[in-house]
Amino acid sequence: MDIKKSILPVKQLGIAVLNSYGMLFFSKNKLFAALVLMVSFFTPATGLCGLIALTIALITANALGFAKEQISQGLLTYSVILFGFALGATFEYSIPFWILLFVGSLLTLFLSITLNAILNKKGLPALSLAFIIGTWVVMIASKSFQGIGLTQRHIYWFNELYQIGGNPLVNFIAAIENWTLSDYMAGFFRSMSAIIFQSNIASGVVLSIGLLIYSRIAFSLAVIGYALAIVFNYVMGGFNHTDLTYYNMGTNYMLVAIALGGFYLIPSIKSYGWTIITVPISFLLVVTMGSVSYKTGAPFYSLPFCIMVIVFMYVLQLRGKTTSLILTPIQFYSPEQNLYRYLSGKERIKTKYYHSLHLPFMGEWMVSQGYNGDMTHKGDWGKALDFVILDDEMKTYQNPGSRLEHFYCFGKPICSPADGIIEEVIDHIEDNEIGQNNTLQNWGNTIVIKHAEGLYTKLSHLKKHSIKVAKGTFVKRGQIIAACGNSGRSPEPHLHMQVQSTPYVGSKTIAYPIAYFKSRKNKAFQLENFATPAEGMFVSNIQANTSLFKAFNFQPGQIIQAGAEGFKEEEWETNTNYFNESFLYEKENEAYAYFINNGSAFYFTNYIGPKNTLLYQFYLSAYTVLLSSEKSLAINDHYPINTFGMYGIQWLQDLVAPFFIFIKMKYSAVLHENNNSTAGDSIQITSMQTQQFLVWEKIKTNATIDIKNEKIDSIEIESNQKNIQIKCTLKA
Amino acid sequence: MTKLPYERPLILKMNAGLMNKFGTRTEYEPVKEIDGVSVKCLIATYGSPVFVISEKTMRKTYRSVLQSFTTRYPKVQMAWSYKTNYINAVCNVFHQEGSWGEVVSGFEYRKALGNGVPGDKIIFNGPEKTNEELELAIHNNSLIHIDHFDELYQLIEISDKLNKKPRVAIRVNMDTGIYPIWDRFGFNYENGTAWSALTKIVSSGKLTLTGLHCHIGTYMMSANAYAIAANKLCDLAWNCKTQLNTTIQYLDLGGGFPTANNLRGAYLPASDTIPSIDEFATAITDTLLNFGFDNDDLPTLILESGRALIDEAGYLLGSVLANKRLSDGRRATIMDFGVNLLFTSFWYEHKISPAQDFTHHTEDMVLYGPLCMNIDVVRQSINLPLLNRGDHVVVHRVGAYNMTQWMQFIQMRPNVVMIDEHGQHHLIRKAETIEYIEQMELIPSHLKQVKL
Repeated sequence: MDIKKSILPVKQLGIAVLNSYGMLFFSKNKLFAALVLMVSFFTPATGLCGLIALTIALITANALGFAKEQISQGLLTYSVILFGFALGATFEYSIPFWILLFVGSLLTLFLSITLNAILNKKGLPALSLAFIIGTWVVMIASKSFQGIGLTQRHIYWFNELYQIGGNPLVNFIAAIENWTLSDYMAGFFRSMSAIIFQSNIASGVVLSIGLLIYSRIAFSLAVIGYALAIVFNYVMGGFNHTDLTYYNMGTNYMLVAIALGGFYLIPSIKSYGWTIITVPISFLLVVTMGSVSYKTGAPFYSLPFCIMVIVFMYVLQLRGKTTSLILTPIQFYSPEQNLYRYLSGKERIKTKYYHSLHLPFMGEWMVSQGYNGDMTHKGDWGKALDFVILDDEMKTYQNPGSRLEHFYCFGKPICSPADGIIEEVIDHIEDNEIGQNNTLQNWGNTIVIKHAEGLYTKLSHLKKHSIKVAKGTFVKRGQIIAACGNSGRSPEPHLHMQVQSTPYVGSKTIAYPIAYFKSRKNKAFQLENFATPAEGMFVSNIQANTSLFKAFNFQPGQIIQAGAEGFKEEEWETNTNYFNESFLYEKENEAYAYFINNGSAFYFTNYIGPKNTLLYQFYLSAYTVLLSSEKSLAINDHYPINTFGMYGIQWLQDLVAPFFIFIKMKYSAVLHENNNSTAGDSIQITSMQTQQFLVWEKIKTNATIDIKNEKIDSIEIESNQKNIQIKCTLKA
Repeated sequence: MTKLPYERPLILKMNAGLMNKFGTRTEYEPVKEIDGVSVKCLIATYGSPVFVISEKTMRKTYRSVLQSFTTRYPKVQMAWSYKTNYINAVCNVFHQEGSWGEVVSGFEYRKALGNGVPGDKIIFNGPEKTNEELELAIHNNSLIHIDHFDELYQLIEISDKLNKKPRVAIRVNMDTGIYPIWDRFGFNYENGTAWSALTKIVSSGKLTLTGLHCHIGTYMMSANAYAIAANKLCDLAWNCKTQLNTTIQYLDLGGGFPTANNLRGAYLPASDTIPSIDEFATAITDTLLNFGFDNDDLPTLILESGRALIDEAGYLLGSVLANKRLSDGRRATIMDFGVNLLFTSFWYEHKISPAQDFTHHTEDMVLYGPLCMNIDVVRQSINLPLLNRGDHVVVHRVGAYNMTQWMQFIQMRPNVVMIDEHGQHHLIRKAETIEYIEQMELIPSHLKQVKL
């Protein structure tokens, strides 16, 4: 066995340690984690026990063969730190103590792994349950061991401080301790420090600063949680808050407010509002458990917090489809990140939620009747679209318009809106004379296509005997399947299209957007993105560009070499993870750029890694690209709000973000030059990044992406500060 | 009471048909205005004769032709055929509508560039292309349509010299079941010359084969011929893909769609016999869609329609110079426009409408132009109301070819006017002056003095 491989490298151990400490506050911020670690040594004996317990856990998890990536997250081990703190704060050092610490750490680790596995399956966090159970077991068991004695260290903790930091540290801590703070303020800081088993203002102040650096939202929630508890206690005429340990008084409420106000839920007015309910409930739990644990001698620690959060999250999960109090879909370990990514994802990546349907015809048609139209789109059958072709004079026919052939749309090819299987075909109904209606065979000649489970499209009033496909045929998007006609309840030729969740002719309709199309107002074209064509709109499909598609169709294993002056050469390797998400990976800088290419558009969905890389520049420049030959059809988008930092304003924005967004980072891209419709030689896409502050806009960056021979050739980025010319080549 | 217009005397042969209560009537209706602008006003402002082009009709025709194709096929591109009418204002209307340029000489090529058409959106056709012109086209990344082997070799040489890979297509001629076969242009399909040219282009490695072009004739009366042509081009494109491993990006079906102008000697009026644009569009697109290309790999369809887009929008306004009785008793009317301006009268029988009120009487007559030359016959026999000296007429459907094939012969060329979509008229080509004509002339010094 290769011993070297099985040992956790120091760097990774460091990351794992920091992440574990950060996780105590739901954070992956290294600076904050370092502060927590430092502050934990304000009571050295306690802090040391926490660190030792953590180290034992990490080494064991690694030796057991857990993946390094999993270990370094810190998710499995933060409970062990708390366990170490609890033991260090309670017992005197002795040989039996160390044995107990060692064994107990492992117990907590195993509990943590087990609880995480069980609860995560239900989409719930294990929080500090492992710590609580582990500590109870050890606490209660310790009473049977003579070798374990309670410590009095925390009474004389200044002595210890003196040993590690000498006079200056003692003076510093004492000075802060002597600040004239109101009881409430002091209580807040002490409660903060209680999370790491301390009770001093200095630790609380440092941790509060760290929390503020890590997340403005979390900090504001901590304050809100604490304040709510005080108000509740006051109103109810509860106990005197100075009498109880701060862990009981503030910590549980702060943690509940952070977890439910902005961490496990997307921060919003509602999530903030619900803390008015959840904090008082936690209060009741704290009081009740306090009286129980007083009898058993096992402190309840953060159990009220764990119960409140898990129960509330579980309740929320059992709801149906909802748009309020959203549970964080992907955890970025930062309330701000969670919020901004969610907001941008909700607007942007609709391709994740909707099947891409396209318009079922060629050229430009007009919506003659939209959703819930006045004529026939009523009630259960309201979400339907009728299309006709108009000429310049807004007429649907030429010549006298007395015969079917005079109508522009009559006999025009009808295509499949997406890939699918033909579910139903009716092809024998006579086309009506102009002005006649066939109400007996209402839908006329009809095709129903199945695109996915519970997603069918129906095309009706087709021309008699024009249907080219049979039941069960697989059709591709854009394949011609019939011709527009005038059968059924149709006084003049038109196409009826509807989306339905059942496969029958006559099923009721569901509202469903068309993925990409362009609409025309006078002479100006506009891109519509997962929208429903409105009545009176002139609409046509986006012309696809296969070369552009190929250039952005990154295949797993493909490596792009990118170089630019002043940057180290980078290699972007296309990878796919086990959630089937594709990303470009830059090994040197540990940078990840996640993307989606749905055939019509390319989106970067997320970037993780340092911001001084070329990959980051590529992510910004090609944030959204329409894979089409349509010149001067702009695709607009928004970056997550925290993409560009201006610290002062950004922090202010973070604080009020759940309620009001005033900074926007806009993106807009347009196909600039295209010789491509006839030869695959050169395509240029220009993109622009604009910062918007309230109503003021400022262009930050202009980028040009050059595509040659179906490959990305170069990216030119121009901004005030920099001018970067990235040259890309495909690694053979 | 207004004074009744004078009408010249007329002797009619006794016609012993059935009587009816409506009396006899003519089919003619006076055309007193074009797009709301009166003919009188146009002639008063710009003189007679004068060409008038309706921008409204141009755009409407263009959009309706384009719509016929785009609602049947996903990738359609129009390229304006410069030779049909290369007055810049006319070209720019089409370019504004999105049309590329299709040129057949270096002169037209430069004209297109001058109009602001990007080089890569110019299709360079025609049998004559000089080295210099080809170099220009290669630099501009234009689409060069090769007409014969000598040009192919010429192009390989030039691309070697410039070390550039021009984008090329070949023009293909073929039997589409109509007569005559236009086999003087391009490479023949049936005898394998076209395939041999394609093989040479690909194996040379010096040229990028991007498209295939054909133009099967002009004023085509059969939509089916286009289906056959499209099928043969598809066949070549398919072979290029499967055997030469080269994807053909576009098929250029040329133009040749007819307009409602009557051909000389045609028995029935054209409006009754020509297929509609929709029928052509159906024939072409059905063939392309059903040939077997993958939906994402369909070639772009390029159309170089000229006549069908502009003919209808052009009018020639003229005036009667004189009435005459010929030796055989036939009536003759002399107009102030002749074959010098109405070149298409060699093959069309244009519709001609008087521009003022007239009675129901008509007379057969010969229509002569103003030239002192025997060939100047606008129409051998036409039945028109009784026209007096100074009366105005409107000649319909003259937009195509007349303003490029007109002659500066005996007479100079008149004004060309465009009426925009809001009914405003603009002079788009000034009447020629003697200075303009003589500008290019040089007189050797010993001929400068003339003394009689």
